[in-house]
Amino acid sequence: MVRLKSRYLLCEVCVSDRRNLSLLDDRAIYTATKAAVARAHGDYGAALSSLGFSVKYLNAHTGIVFLRCRKSHYRLIWSALPFITSLENRGQRVPCFLNCLHVGGTIRTCQKFLVRYNTQQLHRMLPLCQSEGMQWSALFLYISSLPMHGFLIADNMPSNLVNFE
Amino acid sequence: MNLSHDNLEESTKDNGNIDCANQSLTSPAQQSTQTSLGYSTVAINYVVDLQQKKQEIGKPKCVLELFDTFPIVQGKSRPIKVLNRLTVVASDPSHFRPNAEYKAYDLVAVYPTTEKLFHAACMTFDVDIICVAVIEKQPFFFKRSPINGAIERGVFFEISYTPAIRDSTMRRYTIANAISLMETCKGKNVIVTSGAEKPLELRGPYDIANLGLLFGLSEGDGKAAISTNCRAVHLHGETRKTALGIVHTMKKDQPLTERQEEEHAPASKRAKIETV
Repeated sequence: MVRLKSRYLLCEVCVSDRRNLSLLDDRAIYTATKAAVARAHGDYGAALSSLGFSVKYLNAHTGIVFLRCRKSHYRLIWSALPFITSLENRGQRVPCFLNCLHVGGTIRTCQKFLVRYNTQQLHRMLPLCQSEGMQWSALFLYISSLPMHGFLIADNMPSNLVNFE
Repeated sequence: MNLSHDNLEESTKDNGNIDCANQSLTSPAQQSTQTSLGYSTVAINYVVDLQQKKQEIGKPKCVLELFDTFPIVQGKSRPIKVLNRLTVVASDPSHFRPNAEYKAYDLVAVYPTTEKLFHAACMTFDVDIICVAVIEKQPFFFKRSPINGAIERGVFFEISYTPAIRDSTMRRYTIANAISLMETCKGKNVIVTSGAEKPLELRGPYDIANLGLLFGLSEGDGKAAISTNCRAVHLHGETRKTALGIVHTMKKDQPLTERQEEEHAPASKRAKIETV
């Protein structure tokens, strides 16, 4: 059976000036990535990135992005990610960098990784919180950042329908 | 004080990464970025240009003075380890003289600007790292014989990636020089480092391993370039301080009077320090 396979790159947007500049949207990341791939790999790269490339999920609070690309050339797009130095959003330029955490074949595997990663981050961050209010807000941030609804629905669906994209 | 950045990553995607990064920025923000990215060892780089007149190679600042506490590496429970590294920019083999000053640094690197020095550095110099030019077109070609000699000795070649992030022309030079290095050395003994001066110029370990693909490294070589090779460099630097890599000396706290007496005595008569 012919199946269109894709790869999901789980990236984290790291900004120096933390929460103020987390007002990003997926268009900004999309254009920045396309521009970086075009600069790094020329017209070939630009053509490849127009095929099946999209930003599937963006969490402005924690800076997690899912990028989707074709399996045949996800490496090319991935290799251009270190060259992104800033994101443009409505005329504002945000200097940042994308750090790729995980590459998965489906959104579900990326989410599983994200759950583990977030628990690690919580373990790291909670001791640094100075007050209980901050602790609760950190917890809320990470728990709400997971697209749990999709998870719960997918769990109940039969397995051959889950992996469609 | 310039910065250069070694990446060392050991484990796979499951765990938090053990990474080694050579970093020169002495700011806590940069350190915290590195620990969150997963680098477990960092080196602060001091660049010395010996072509200029009589530049003194100062002692590196003690790491503990620069930072009060070391942040804990993500995924591990140990704090980040900070080393000191010296980069010597030289064009003449006579400039480079291994002194006691070099011993104060954990890692020593040389940046050869001529073919003669490159050959000498590969075969004879007591260095850990040889830097490959990244900002300019390579003034000389790589030959197989000094590179093979260096590989046998355990000296590593370093490619820095931050200039590639900053500027497009540098990107071309970086990739060109890196590929010509790979053709001659077949991907062995290569480390990828960053010359980050700001926290935003750092990149995560997976991204750098992937950049290795652009440089002509295979996938396994790319991962090794930021993990096992960097650790090997670190060990190589440590063995420079020891006798033949077996004996390691540590300073023992002695009362002042005893130490003064020892300084007067010639080296052969000094009390042997406890070996570990």
